[in-house]
Amino acid sequence: MLGNKSLIEVSKSDSTVFVSFGSISSAMASFLTKLCFLFCLFSSLAIVVVPQTHAQNSVPVAQVESAEPNASEEPIITAENYAFDDASQRRVFLDLTAVLRCPMCQNQNIADSDAMIAHDMRRKVYQLLKQGKSKDDVIAFMKERYGDFVYYQPPVTPVTIWLWVLPVIFAFVMMLVFILRRKPTVDDDIQDKIAAANKLLKDE
Amino acid sequence: MKRIIWFLLPLFLFLGLSVFLFQGLFSDPRDRESEVLAEAFPPFTLPDLMDESLSYDNSVFDGNVTLVNVWGVWCVTCAIELPYLETLKDQGYRIVGLYYDQDLDPDFGTKTLERVRSEVVTTLAKYGNPYAFNIFDVYRDTALDLGVTGAPEHFLVDSQGVIRVHHLGDINPRVWKNKFVPVLRELGALMPADEELSADVRK
Repeated sequence: MLGNKSLIEVSKSDSTVFVSFGSISSAMASFLTKLCFLFCLFSSLAIVVVPQTHAQNSVPVAQVESAEPNASEEPIITAENYAFDDASQRRVFLDLTAVLRCPMCQNQNIADSDAMIAHDMRRKVYQLLKQGKSKDDVIAFMKERYGDFVYYQPPVTPVTIWLWVLPVIFAFVMMLVFILRRKPTVDDDIQDKIAAANKLLKDE
Repeated sequence: MKRIIWFLLPLFLFLGLSVFLFQGLFSDPRDRESEVLAEAFPPFTLPDLMDESLSYDNSVFDGNVTLVNVWGVWCVTCAIELPYLETLKDQGYRIVGLYYDQDLDPDFGTKTLERVRSEVVTTLAKYGNPYAFNIFDVYRDTALDLGVTGAPEHFLVDSQGVIRVHHLGDINPRVWKNKFVPVLRELGALMPADEELSADVRK
């Protein structure tokens, strides 16, 4: 099935993003406080960066088959063999079914889900693309019916802005704590203290 | 004093986190705001389930408060609620079915219309028939416009064709009393049998 094939590509690309962030933070850490601090920084950066990069990453690298010429037929309700006008339309379809969320099986996108509503939404995405609708039009169409919930990229509103702002604030606070708590180096003091101790001993 | 604060800080952080996570245990991920509430019923022109020569459009809502029930014979919960819906019909409420067929059956292939009809007749004879008529949502486009995620779902449509209640899942006496009766009273469409019910709620 075309939809399932695309999902495997998508999930692969997602997992590589997270792995690379994890390895960067562990490689740069040398001792405990630094490790904690860097981990916080990088994980918060990952939270900030990943939602934006997700949309680009989710374009599957799948082989793009040439479009079939008999595309004028009405889509059949049961068949999931969608014929596209050109490769770019197919790419948009795969992209959209990867970023739209199934309202029934809530942790799956509509390319992955086998729920009836996911079948219907895939068919609707196809029909809308065939009508010449753009990617944003299709997302708006689905949001109108299923709310912001249906799209994996949350809109920035006064409520959701904290998703991006809180990790940054946290990173800055941790950086402040890290700087303020750093103790001055004690090497010079030790020399003074030894001298003072020696002096005391001599006086006695 | 300062030391005590440093000891208590993690405790309060932990308590705050616990309360936050504890609340999460009781939050329902399926509890979303409906996008069609207080909106007009999406325009449609669809045939009758039993007779394709009959056609319905939004004028079926004119002048009546209607309960639209999205259902299918393949849906177990829909069958379970049929007897209760029938008692609601007997009280005088108008219930219209929006038939939502599951023809995407990987094991048994596509059903014929004849088979769907015979199954509907059998199911309704067995569990009760609450429907004034059934609208056949052939391509499930109207269900998609309504934001339906599965069956059963219910829409209370007022006499102007505006959706007043969108309920996911079955209707039982508790749901009816808490979710539908207050709106029906507001619309002035409460049946005599339910007047007592709402009086009980107020006590």
